Amino acid sequence: MPVGYSIYVDRPSYIHHRLDPRTKLAALGAAFVLALAFNHPAVLGGLVVLVLVAGRVAQVGWRSMAPFLAGSVWFIILGVLIWPLYVRGGAPLYAIAGQTITVDGLLFGLAMGLRVALMVTAAGVWMMTTSPQKLTVGLLHLGLPYKAGVAMTAAIRFVPLLNAERATIAEAQQARALDLRKGSPLSRAVKSVAIIGPLFIRAIDVAQGLAVAMDARGFGVRDGRTSIVELRLTGVDRMVMLALLAASLLGIALRLLGIGLISRDYL
Amino acid sequence: MSESAAALDITDLVFRYASGVADVLRGVNLRIDHGEFVALIGQNGAGKTTLAKHFNGLLKPSSGSVRVMGRDTRAAPVADLARAVGYVYQNPDHQIFAQRVRAEAAFGPRNLGLSPSEVEQRVERALALVGLREHADDFAFSLGRGQRQKLAVASVLAMEPRILVVDEPTTGLDQAGARGILDLLSTWNVEGRTIVVITHDMTLVAERIPRTVVVNDGLILADGPTRHVLTDASLLRKAYLRPPQVTRVAQRLGDLGVAADVLTVAELYRQIAARVGPS
Amino acid sequence: MEPADDVAIRVRDLRFRYPGATRDALAGLSLDVCRGEFLGITGPSGAGKSTLCLCLKGLVPAGEFSGSVSVAGQTVAPGSAYVESSALVFQNPETQIIGLTVAEDLAFGPENLRRDPARIRAAIPVYLDQVRLAGYQDVDTYRLSGGQKQRLAIADALILEPEILILDEPTSELDPIGKDQFFEVLERLRRERSITVIMVEHAAEQLAAMADRVIVMQHGLVVDQGPPDQLYRNPVLFHHPQAERAPQISEVLFELLQAGLLPASQFTAQEEAGIQRLRALLENSVQPVAQRV
Repeated sequence: MPVGYSIYVDRPSYIHHRLDPRTKLAALGAAFVLALAFNHPAVLGGLVVLVLVAGRVAQVGWRSMAPFLAGSVWFIILGVLIWPLYVRGGAPLYAIAGQTITVDGLLFGLAMGLRVALMVTAAGVWMMTTSPQKLTVGLLHLGLPYKAGVAMTAAIRFVPLLNAERATIAEAQQARALDLRKGSPLSRAVKSVAIIGPLFIRAIDVAQGLAVAMDARGFGVRDGRTSIVELRLTGVDRMVMLALLAASLLGIALRLLGIGLISRDYL
Repeated sequence: MSESAAALDITDLVFRYASGVADVLRGVNLRIDHGEFVALIGQNGAGKTTLAKHFNGLLKPSSGSVRVMGRDTRAAPVADLARAVGYVYQNPDHQIFAQRVRAEAAFGPRNLGLSPSEVEQRVERALALVGLREHADDFAFSLGRGQRQKLAVASVLAMEPRILVVDEPTTGLDQAGARGILDLLSTWNVEGRTIVVITHDMTLVAERIPRTVVVNDGLILADGPTRHVLTDASLLRKAYLRPPQVTRVAQRLGDLGVAADVLTVAELYRQIAARVGPS
Repeated sequence: MEPADDVAIRVRDLRFRYPGATRDALAGLSLDVCRGEFLGITGPSGAGKSTLCLCLKGLVPAGEFSGSVSVAGQTVAPGSAYVESSALVFQNPETQIIGLTVAEDLAFGPENLRRDPARIRAAIPVYLDQVRLAGYQDVDTYRLSGGQKQRLAIADALILEPEILILDEPTSELDPIGKDQFFEVLERLRRERSITVIMVEHAAEQLAAMADRVIVMQHGLVVDQGPPDQLYRNPVLFHHPQAERAPQISEVLFELLQAGLLPASQFTAQEEAGIQRLRALLENSVQPVAQRV
């Protein structure tokens, strides 16, 4: 769980500061469309590399991006183990328990793992380059009601606080000899009430306090709000979004044509 | 646990959090004997709460040792040390979850594995001690803040620990509430329990707590009788603290014969009356 | 306080009861607050102090309300329009900070009121400076200490440009440094502007030093009021074990008063003045000085 509000890290990069959050949102969308359009490991692997390059252009460190890749390794392993039992094609390699494992099966499994890697890493890089504040304003421009925008910000604002409360409650109850390590999973779940109960109440207290504070500062008093964050779509934004749209459409077209796929039968 | 050992014996305690960059505690030495009543003061971030959390094993030393009644806390799980060391958190709402007051107070003793009759006895005693007997069947959350504070204290007292650590018990309470809690702690102390209070309230420390330990920047800056520690203005200044107003006033009148180690209103009054009153 | 337009707040017979409560939180309270005055409010828990603060901000909770409240000429009642002329600082540093960064938090109020973004952006450093948080615009709010959060809360209130600043036990969760810094900022603000301030506090020494007038509330009513040097002489409300907290200097002087050793005119609740009076007392005493150590 992030220590701060989000994993956004401020860097003096073009992507961070000049690209409109709506453009970045579109980039994330395009990444997901392309991830689903193809199932050839070379294509998906190439797209992962593209995302990493974009991350480096945005001055995101390798160390920051590594955890997302590392997390996907598990999916790659699973993919390579399971998918060959369903997908067959190309040269047969060996047989296990009566099932024939083929080259295409392995490649498809690898592709599925890389798809996860692509989506997760794209999401990670996106989060690291998009400030929550600007994102909220971007969403407002896209039609999100202003109250929902404030609710989003408030939720993000209170995640670290409630996390800290949870830790304090756990300590306080431990000090009353609550031992969550012992006992069956069921009894441990029952014991967790001692933590969830106060946490729930605290969350409600915090929410109520917040509501009064927001009322005291005029929330909801006018029709809509202004914002000190002023967003404008520049020429570069438009170009990038156009390119992303084109790429997405191209991806869909190639899919329909059967290019960049190991198997036409599976997504 | 050894009976002749000190209640708390801390030697060269150094502590840093796993993800931390600096030592929060930088070599703390502290010995508290059974039956003592000690105040732990210092500004936020100085390390006093971090130190206190070592007393019941919530935190384990990075180096150095912490012994509770002779027992090394590194070798003991928190749930076990809770038998000997009770820790009352600052905000009662971090503990209270049970429906009714009685059930809330019973939570600790039950966790200790005591028999139902023993639990019941302890709960009754604890609730009587804090003055919540007549609310025993009320909903815990129907109580006001001061009473919830007392309930939190009662819940820990019901475990009958020999050592009690209380974190900022008077924050958010009015004068009557604050005095009530201190009366409670004094009573418990008179019965032979060891009490450590973390607090910012210098006036209450001056009036009620005999020994004061000042924590500053991860070290113990001062440790001794309250009368010496709390009246040493230059020492307290190093810890970004100030003596109570009555002490400050007395020290400004030092050149006129008023003692510098005045701690309470009554003392200052007597000093002045003695010099001003009719013979 | 004579002419009517010198009155910033007028409360008459304010009665309020929370739903399901057995007694009134406010029991027919009447109060006038002058423009530019610093009013201190003290009293035990449950006296109705926080309820009063909410009403003065125009945030009347759900419940039974009667009586009249007028804040800078605007009538306050349940469901009445938003009161812009007063701003409220609460006790809990956590729940009143809303933005993810300091600038975002400061902007929250003015953004709600649809103020011009450029003017808000220009105002941010000004107000941060006033609360000794200069340069903190882009700091994540979770990094702030309790004291810093409370100072930010003052800035959040001031950026709304209220005539009246209401503070409800603003330092009760702060450590001594946090308290000192908070009162310092408030003190300076007070000197530099003619803003009306209402502060609920238990910190009697600071209250006595800053307030023009202090009122004591009990059971939903004002039971006594006056300038600190007068109010803190009340023997029923202060100076006995069950009493509300009074500045220690006033307790010493009160004892001397009771013993006939101090003339009533010399009573004060201020630390400096009290030290001077005690010096005078000691210097003028005919008693030979007792054994000096």
